[in-house]
Amino acid sequence: MSLPKPVMRGLLAKRLRFHLPIAFGVAITTALLYKFAVTEPRKKAYANFYKHYDAVKEFKAMREAGIFESVRPAGK
Amino acid sequence: MAHPSQLGFQDAASPVMEELLHFHDHTLMIVFLISTLVLYIIVAMVTTKLTDKLILDSQVIEIIWTLLPAMILILIALPSLRILYLMDEINDPHLTIKAMGHQWYWSYEYTDYEDLGFDSYMIPTQDLAPGQFRLLETDHRMVVPLNSPTRILISADDVLHSWAVPSLGIKMDAVPGRLNQTAFITSRPGVFFGQCSEICGANHSFMPIVVEAVPLEHFENWSSMMLQDT
Repeated sequence: MSLPKPVMRGLLAKRLRFHLPIAFGVAITTALLYKFAVTEPRKKAYANFYKHYDAVKEFKAMREAGIFESVRPAGK
Repeated sequence: MAHPSQLGFQDAASPVMEELLHFHDHTLMIVFLISTLVLYIIVAMVTTKLTDKLILDSQVIEIIWTLLPAMILILIALPSLRILYLMDEINDPHLTIKAMGHQWYWSYEYTDYEDLGFDSYMIPTQDLAPGQFRLLETDHRMVVPLNSPTRILISADDVLHSWAVPSLGIKMDAVPGRLNQTAFITSRPGVFFGQCSEICGANHSFMPIVVEAVPLEHFENWSSMMLQDT
């Protein structure tokens, strides 16, 4: 009883067929992870910061903290 | 300003810088995608003894690795050009300031209405007050009104300098004999720091830039006060 003929051709192609989809999948997953872990939160953070931003209130707080040179804290 | 061991950009203080931040995130995402793909393929190729004996007429792979990078480059170029044209829009500035680079300080001129000009030298480390930042503070700050489009004309008196404020997304060379123009709007009040960004001699690292954004009435009071002092 003879052994079945082993596969002798297409070994690299078989390896590529296995690994290339995984390679693209990992790459796209990395990109999506970065997008949803960094890019979107940063956009939301800026949008939320400026949604209810009161420049006058922030300016007054900074002024009282004494960080400006063009305007001294109120009362000085 | 930057904080110690900072890797990313400073918080944006102008709309253009916000756009640049988001563009950088978009482009870095593409960089990570390509790097991960290439790294995986390298490892897969290096960890096998299998090879392709028929390395001829590999038109399919050639087409793939021509078209794919071309599409990726278009994905990067389109947002990049959008921001480039956004920065060049006619913005009808409310104020024009001239910044001149010297060895080794900046001078600012506000000549829209009166003739206001002053020099801005770095505060030496030994003269710093508690809470001030080493190599970043100046004796006179460039004060601008908040939320007002401001044009800045940049030139130099002697050698090349560069006027840069990272949180506003501005960097513009100061070239002797040439007038470079850029514009910005400060989205929030505060103090924004920058440093000379073109090698200009021994004290190139010691001619910082400080921009102070305050509401208009305080800007007007400041400029009246500065005029009286000069």
